[in-house]
Amino acid sequence: MVGPVGLLQVVRGHGVPRVDCKGSSMGEIMGTVFNIQRYSIDDGPGIRSTVFLKGCPLNCKWCSNPESQNRNPEISHRDSLCSKCGICVQVCEAAAITVDEAGVHIDRDRCNVCGKCIDACDREVLELMGRSMTVEEVFSQLQRDTDYYESSGGGVTICGGEALYQPEFTFALLKRCREVGIHTCLDTAGYGTSSALQRILQYTSLVFYDIKHLDARIHRELTGKQNGLIMRNLELIIRSGVPVVIRVPYIPGHNDSKENIEALAKTVSGMSKEAKVNLLPYHRFGMGKYAMLDRRYELAKLLPPSKEDLSKAKEIIESFGLACEVAV
Amino acid sequence: MTITDSMLSKANAKEIKSVVVMTERLKKLKREWEDADPVVYVDDTLLFTKSWKETDGLPVDLRWAKAFAKRLEECPILLRDDELIVGSLTKFTRGNNVLVAMKPREVLEMAKTGRFDRKLSDISATYIDPEDLKLLIEDAEYWVQHMPTVNYVNEALKEELGEGHFDLMFDRGMVFEGRAVRVDPDRGLFQGWGAFGGGIAQPTMPVIHNGLNHVINLAKAEIDKMVDQGACLPGASAAALRKYYLLKATIVSCEAIIAYAHRYADLARDLALKERNPVRKQELEKIAEVCDWVPGNRPRNYWEAVQSLRFLHLACWKESSERPEVGIGRIDQILYPFYEEDLAQGRLTRQEAGELLGAFWLKIRETENLVTIKREHRAAPGTLLPDVTLCGIDENGRDLTNELSWLVLEVMRQIKLSEPAVYIRWHEGMDEDFMLHALECNRDFGGGNPAFLNDKLGTDRYLARGVKPEDATNWLASGCLGYHLECGEHMAGMFSINQAKIFELTLYNGFDPRTKKQLGLQTGDVTQFTSLEQFYEAFFQQEDYFAEILRKHYFIWWSSENMNSPMSGLRAAMLYEDCIPAGLTSREGGARYPVCRASWIGDRGITDVADDLAAIEHLVFRSNKFTMAELLDAMAANWEGHDDIRQMCLNAPKYGNDDDFVDEIFNRVSLTTQMILTGRPDPFTGEKPMLFKGAAAGHVTQGASVGALPNGRKAGTPLNDAGTSAMPGMDVEGPTALINSATKAPHAWETVGITHNMKFPKAMLTSTAKLENLAALVKIFFARGGWHIQFNIHDSDELLKAKENPEQYKNVLVRVGGYSAYFVDLPPELQDEIIARTLHEVY
Repeated sequence: MVGPVGLLQVVRGHGVPRVDCKGSSMGEIMGTVFNIQRYSIDDGPGIRSTVFLKGCPLNCKWCSNPESQNRNPEISHRDSLCSKCGICVQVCEAAAITVDEAGVHIDRDRCNVCGKCIDACDREVLELMGRSMTVEEVFSQLQRDTDYYESSGGGVTICGGEALYQPEFTFALLKRCREVGIHTCLDTAGYGTSSALQRILQYTSLVFYDIKHLDARIHRELTGKQNGLIMRNLELIIRSGVPVVIRVPYIPGHNDSKENIEALAKTVSGMSKEAKVNLLPYHRFGMGKYAMLDRRYELAKLLPPSKEDLSKAKEIIESFGLACEVAV
Repeated sequence: MTITDSMLSKANAKEIKSVVVMTERLKKLKREWEDADPVVYVDDTLLFTKSWKETDGLPVDLRWAKAFAKRLEECPILLRDDELIVGSLTKFTRGNNVLVAMKPREVLEMAKTGRFDRKLSDISATYIDPEDLKLLIEDAEYWVQHMPTVNYVNEALKEELGEGHFDLMFDRGMVFEGRAVRVDPDRGLFQGWGAFGGGIAQPTMPVIHNGLNHVINLAKAEIDKMVDQGACLPGASAAALRKYYLLKATIVSCEAIIAYAHRYADLARDLALKERNPVRKQELEKIAEVCDWVPGNRPRNYWEAVQSLRFLHLACWKESSERPEVGIGRIDQILYPFYEEDLAQGRLTRQEAGELLGAFWLKIRETENLVTIKREHRAAPGTLLPDVTLCGIDENGRDLTNELSWLVLEVMRQIKLSEPAVYIRWHEGMDEDFMLHALECNRDFGGGNPAFLNDKLGTDRYLARGVKPEDATNWLASGCLGYHLECGEHMAGMFSINQAKIFELTLYNGFDPRTKKQLGLQTGDVTQFTSLEQFYEAFFQQEDYFAEILRKHYFIWWSSENMNSPMSGLRAAMLYEDCIPAGLTSREGGARYPVCRASWIGDRGITDVADDLAAIEHLVFRSNKFTMAELLDAMAANWEGHDDIRQMCLNAPKYGNDDDFVDEIFNRVSLTTQMILTGRPDPFTGEKPMLFKGAAAGHVTQGASVGALPNGRKAGTPLNDAGTSAMPGMDVEGPTALINSATKAPHAWETVGITHNMKFPKAMLTSTAKLENLAALVKIFFARGGWHIQFNIHDSDELLKAKENPEQYKNVLVRVGGYSAYFVDLPPELQDEIIARTLHEVY
């Protein structure tokens, strides 16, 4: 592949993929970022800026941010804005684009993310998801809101995709923030090397930690990976003393069994009574974004859980002496 | 620095939040108001005309006061079942008052077409009784016949500035907008602006606290002094005579209000005699006792203070029928001594205090004004602007927030009426609980109420203009939205300068493509320009040219207005400490400080101009996407056949995204035009004019005259709305970015109003933690030098619109923990799901 992707090198080892983010020319650490969300008030305390990194080693069926999964930049299309003029088809040298009544379709095998269609489209239907940025580039955006962080007890949250999937970048960015006194949140599903995590924790004020399932086999069915590493990393975080909030996506029919919730609460409470647990009710709002990336959403028929089921799960977790909240 | 002894105990805060404002009584009264049809009320105008005929030959100041007195002394009065606070502007539950003499031709036209526009609603039809209609037509015909045949303001303008000057005015080129810049303003008896020049009176604390009898006594003593000194003997100067008649007019006006209150006292006594229900009988007896005493005397208790405020507000409203922007003022300060004393003596409960305040609120809202200005020409449709101001720091650094500040918010939240609007003077040390209460009320109320003003900035601006600390700290919100000292008057709305139009003229070398006239200077053919610097230079030259014309216009307008229209005794009464010794109203120089009557210049379209310049720099000079000539062609065609160019223009960097490239352009345009406009002293006071970049709907009227612009805007569509608003839908980086863009430079310093509107989805305010974040946002806005911020809380309506018109709402975000997407990108069924969630949110 060519284009912005060329800055990235994929290295594999020990079954834990990671992206080595050294910039090729300047020696600067680069990250693939797909969004910086300002006035973010759902990703930790206070007013925050959330940096969304692109690329995730897991492949959860219910993922509501499909644009975050692929570690490489890709082009999405906002069909509601499309006039079906076809200019994108004309400029595409890879012949990857077709346009019909529904809007744009991109053949992802053919698309080389050259970006010509994006430039050609006057209506901003096409959008590049993921940009390669240096730590300083990202930081200069983040520090524009420093006074808001201070006045609200907020800060910066780094999430994904998977923040541990770009460990050098995550480390450098959080370090940069903490050096100037900005509170940092790491939002992670824990699938990264323990050594990287350990380094990152030095500059992390608070961790949001996803746990999807306690059973290793089912975990692999749901996410493509086993959970051994994730559970070991959780222990590591708890030992480090950095406060942690466990986030459990609550997906009906997938991980909502009483056994799983109990096992989860038992395991967590065995590690720490201090850890808080948040239940994140399943929602389908990511569905639109699958279409924007020409992907199929497998759980299209799955409905959100009932309030009753959620409060039952909450009670179970609380019965293990853990504080638990259901997110809205 | 701030002494914060004002924090409310938790117990009292809790008690105030548990006050039931909407008692059965108020629910019933509100329901009656909601169910009532608006009706045109004619008695007031008929009484005015009757009086005017009777007083022919008397000095105009006295005629005006006598007409005012007749309107109060002979109008029908009524006391509704269950009312506690009394005094109605009309005899209808929803009456539309009109004063024909001020605009007879327009009223006649409305009366003959049967189409009555109200100021407070989008419904344009208002009922009128057929008999009343006949009387109204007669009245209008009388005034049309007896109107001066020429308009004295425009004659003076013609004499001094020539015929061509009219091409710049509201009805033609619209370089200037406002009620004082019309080619054909249809003035009646007084042609500048009703009878009131620029200012508008409102009840003041000294008048309520000391009573109108005190004012009358001072006026009488001043007359005695004049007589003793021989000032008004035959042969004395015209100025002394004018002073004498103003003092007399003051006495006539004050006595009329007292007499009006006494009529209510009599009525209440009569009703009490007939009343069978002992509880109501007692209430009526109480009302009689209250109305016997106020507003003539200092209130003896809270109830009387509220009633006094009602009578005085009504009086100011009545006098100023054509310009009803009568503020209510610092209600928590005005009423507090009485509230505190009553609570301490055990004479009043918080519940009773809340109900009385609610009753006052309902009385304010029952008034609607029939205005004859065409809907599309109105500065502020849908509002009468009875602004309430809360809190503030005094000259000793004391925080004046009190229990009533809390209670007023609770009343506003529960009674849910679009008016009065509430403005909080925010300061750094503001009690956090109070702030959360205010934001909670804002959330529950919906529209931008309460709004927040920067206490320190408001005071500092007056200190910098030489006002003493005790007066500089005593200011209040007025209009939509400016502010003024309590020892002065609201001045807004006379002249606006249309920056977007001036920029358009610059693009066409001073030529106006709409009127096909050379309105501006020839500052060069922009297709030959090679840098943005040349655009700046040309634009600022035009600006300078028009600023000088505006200043001349202002001088001519105000001097002919002062020569020809009456001074109001009521206005002198409200500022009696200064106006009575001076024998002048504020407008003529009777107010304490010159700044009290410095002109306000409306200044609109700066963010539009910044976006225009950014688009030109970005697309023409930097990336060479097209030439200036091609851009002008596309604009001339209103983009038809040039959709590609328009889209590029729309996608060019826009103000409001914390993008230094555009923001620096905005800063330069804003600060330079500010210097140009305030650089010329106001010819009456020698003061710098104050700039007004408020929230009124002038962006709609002014936009109507402006063709397509380089920012991608289409011809005739509204300009950006408030002082620091971004182009609709173009601020995609969120609230912190918009605030940063708006506050990088001191845009607020020379302004008397610069509004920063923000929209928030209700979902972002559903928990205390989220409200705390909003409070932090407000804090930073003010720390960065912002002046006025208000939050419009939107819910499902906004999303329904976004579903229909995705292009205009492409930045509406849906946020769930760990997830974010644009609403318009969701499939329809999920959009519906989000809308349903929004609808069913429970607080």
